Amino acid sequence: MKITQHATDTTLTLALNGELDASSSVLLDTELSKPEILRTQKVLIDCQQLNYISSAGLGVFISHLQTFQDANVKLVFFNMQEKVRNVFEILGLDSLMTIVPSEADAAAV
Amino acid sequence: MAVLRKPFSLLGIAVLLSWLALLAAALLYAHPGLVGVSLSPPAGLILVLQALFTGIVFLYERKSPERLRGVDFIGLLQRLLLGPALLAVGSVVLHQLLQLLLPGFANGSVLHTIFYTLNVGLFVLLLARTNYAWRALMMFRGSERLQRQWVAFELLLGATLLLRLLPYAPPAALSAAVLGVLAAFGAYLSGRQKWVAYLSRRQKLEAVLLQLAIIGVMGIFVAYFLDTRLGFRLVGPAPQNAFLLLNAFFATFYALMGLLVTLFNLPTAGVFEQKREEILSMQRLTQLIQRGQTTDEVYQMFFDSAIQTTGADAAWLHIEATDEDDQHNLFYQLPANQGSAIRSTLAEFNLGNLEYFNNDLSGGSFGRLQLPFGSLMVMPLSSSKRQYGNIYLLQQPVQAFDRESLSILQTFASQTVLSIENLQLIQASMRTQRVQDELKIASAVQDSLIPKNLPIDNWFEISSYAVAATEVGGDFYDFLHLPGRRLAVLIGDVSGKGVTAAFHVAQMKGIFHALMQENPLARNEREKYPVPSQFMTQANDALGRCLEKSAFITASLYIIDYEHGGFVFARAGHCHTLYYHSIKEEVSYFQTPGLGLGIIRHDGYEKHIKNQFYDYNPGDVMVIYTDGIVEARDAAQDEYGEERLQRMLEESYYLDAEHIKAHILADLHEFTKGQPMHDDQTLLVIKFRSAQPEAGL
Repeated sequence: MKITQHATDTTLTLALNGELDASSSVLLDTELSKPEILRTQKVLIDCQQLNYISSAGLGVFISHLQTFQDANVKLVFFNMQEKVRNVFEILGLDSLMTIVPSEADAAAV
Repeated sequence: MAVLRKPFSLLGIAVLLSWLALLAAALLYAHPGLVGVSLSPPAGLILVLQALFTGIVFLYERKSPERLRGVDFIGLLQRLLLGPALLAVGSVVLHQLLQLLLPGFANGSVLHTIFYTLNVGLFVLLLARTNYAWRALMMFRGSERLQRQWVAFELLLGATLLLRLLPYAPPAALSAAVLGVLAAFGAYLSGRQKWVAYLSRRQKLEAVLLQLAIIGVMGIFVAYFLDTRLGFRLVGPAPQNAFLLLNAFFATFYALMGLLVTLFNLPTAGVFEQKREEILSMQRLTQLIQRGQTTDEVYQMFFDSAIQTTGADAAWLHIEATDEDDQHNLFYQLPANQGSAIRSTLAEFNLGNLEYFNNDLSGGSFGRLQLPFGSLMVMPLSSSKRQYGNIYLLQQPVQAFDRESLSILQTFASQTVLSIENLQLIQASMRTQRVQDELKIASAVQDSLIPKNLPIDNWFEISSYAVAATEVGGDFYDFLHLPGRRLAVLIGDVSGKGVTAAFHVAQMKGIFHALMQENPLARNEREKYPVPSQFMTQANDALGRCLEKSAFITASLYIIDYEHGGFVFARAGHCHTLYYHSIKEEVSYFQTPGLGLGIIRHDGYEKHIKNQFYDYNPGDVMVIYTDGIVEARDAAQDEYGEERLQRMLEESYYLDAEHIKAHILADLHEFTKGQPMHDDQTLLVIKFRSAQPEAGL
C-alpha cells in the first residue's frame, strides 16, 4: 500500500496504490487522523490504483465519516475500480459517501 | 542368616569377651593367689590376649559405618573428642583421683589392676577410633592410589602386632629400623589434609582447638602409661607394643599435621570463603532463573552478590527505563546525588557504559566531587540486544579494586543479563500460552453459539457450512422458529477477526434472540414480531453504543412464512442473496439496498434499510453466504466472485440442498486449492419444497 498526497489550499488528494487491508489501513488512518485535515474543504480519494479494500479498510473511512461531516469536510471518492465500487455498494456506503467517476467530477462536487 | 546380617554386633561381643579375658589374665598375673589357687598365667599369654583384643577392636572400628557425614569435618572431630576421648580421659582421671584419695588403692591392688586394664581397653578403643577418623579425613577426595597406600599401612601395622607374639626377639637395631620406616610411612600419610580447604574460617579455628585437644588426650595417655608401667607386675602396652606405639604416633602426628595445615591455612581462609561465596552467588543467580522469579529479584540478587564479593562500601545499581518498565535503582550506603554525580562525570568522558575502574578518586574530575571514597568500579549490564544499565561499586581505601574483581563482576553481570533475558523469554512464552488458552475458550464459546440442529420441516431443506479462518471468527448465522409456521434465519459478518469480533458475534446473537420475542403490547398479529427492517434499525441502535468506531456488522434477516409460501428479508450491507426461481427457471441475485450496521449511529438508519417481500414456489433455492465465499482467492489472487457462484447454482439447482452445497463447495475448494484461507466462510442453502401433508397424517 502506498499513499501519495497532493494538497492545495482547499483540497487534499490522497492517491491510494495497492491493497487496503488490515495492516495498510493503519497508514491511511494515520493520514486521516491528522488534525489539519479538518481545515480543508474537501478530501479526495483517488482509487484508480486501489485493487482491493477489506472490511478494515472500509472501517477507516466509516470511522472518520462522522468527524468529517461535523467539520463540514467533504469526502469524495473517484476513479474507483468496479470491484471496489461493488464492495462499497454492497455495504450500502454509496448512499453515505460521494463516489464519482473522475477527478474532474470530484473537483466539481 | 541373622548372624550374617549383624557382623558388627558380633564383633562388638568379641571385643567385650576378649577384654574380659584380658582382665582375667591380668588379675591372675598380678595377684596369683586371688582365686585361692596359685595359678599364674605366663606374661606371654597376656601379650597374646592384648594383641587379640587390639586386633578385634581395630577390626570392629574398621567395619563400622563411615563416620564422616558429607563435609561435616568438625562434627567428626567433635564426636571423637566428646565420645571415646572424653571417656578414656575420664577413666584415667578417676584412676588418679582414687589413687590420691584411697590409701589402700596403691600399686598392686585388685581395683588398681582393673582400672589399669580398663584404661588399656579404652586407650586401644580411642586409638582405633582416631585412626579410622583420620582415615575418613584422609580419604576425603582421595585417589584410588591413596586407598591402596592406606591398606598397605594397615597391613604393615597389623604385621607388627603379630611380630610381638613371636618367641624370637629381633635385634633392637632391626626393630628400631622397622619402627622408623613405619613411622615415616605414617608421617607421609599425614600429609593428606585436603579436607582443611573445605573449612570456613570459623570452622578452621574450631578444628585447631579440637586437634589440640586430641593431641592433649594422647599426651595424657603416654604420661599415664609411662607412670604406671613402672608399677607392680603389670604388662604395659606402650613401650613394648610397636603396634600401639605406631598407632599413637600416627594419631598424634596426623592431628599435629592437620593442626599445622589448618593454622597455615587460616590467613588464606578469607580468600577461600570469598571464592566459595562467588560460586554460591552464581548458583543462586542460576537457580533464580530456573524458579522463574521476577526481574526485580534477579537485580537484587546481583546487587547483593556484587557488594558481597567485591567488599564494596557503597554501591548503586541503575537500570534504565524501557517502554514497559520504569527505571530501577538500588542503593547501598550511597546518597542518590553522589551516584548521579559519578554517572555524569563518567558520561563527560564518554565512559558512560563501559567497564571501568579507578583506584584513586582523589584527583582529577572525581576529586572535585569530594567523595568519601577512594576507589570506584563500574560494570555495564548489557547484551547484544540492549543496554540495561550499570552497577557502580565504591570502596573507601584507594587501590581497592583490581582486574580480578572486575572479571568476577563481569561474570556476574553477564549471568544476570542472561537471567533477565531468559525471564523475559519465559514471560513472553507464558503470555502467548495464556492468549492461546483464552482463544481456545473463545473458540469453544463461539462453537456453542453455532446452531447444532438445523430446523427440520417437510416444507424446506436446509444445509449449512461454516469454517473460521482463525480460532475465533466473525461470521455467524442462527435460526429461530416463530409461531405460525414461520422461521427466522439470520446470517452476518462482523468486521475484523479474533476475540473482539467473536464478542460482537455473541452480542449480535443476543440481540437477535432478544428482539425476536413476541411483543405483548402488539395490537395485531403483524406487530407481534418485528419485520426485518425494524429488527435492523433496532439492532443498529443497540450496536451503535458498543461497537468501536471503525467496526461494523453486515447482516441479512429472513423471515420465512412457509404456511403462506412467502418470505420477507432485509439486507444490512450483507452479501446479496442468490436465488433460483423455479417458475422463471432463472438464477439471479436479489438487488436490494441496505446499509451495514454500526456505520451511522444517529437516528436515520431506517432510511437506509428496506424490506423485500417475495412469494416463493416449490423448487426455489436460496443461497445465502458471507464474503469469505465470494472473496476467496486462487493462486493468481483472483476472487471467486458472484458470477462463478451464480453459475454453480445454475448447474445444481435441481439437486437437494445438501448436494447443491456440496457442488458449490467442491468448486470453491478446487478454486482456492493450496491457498491459505483469509476470511471465515459461511454458506447456507435453503430449498423450498411443495407443501406436503405432514407425515403420519
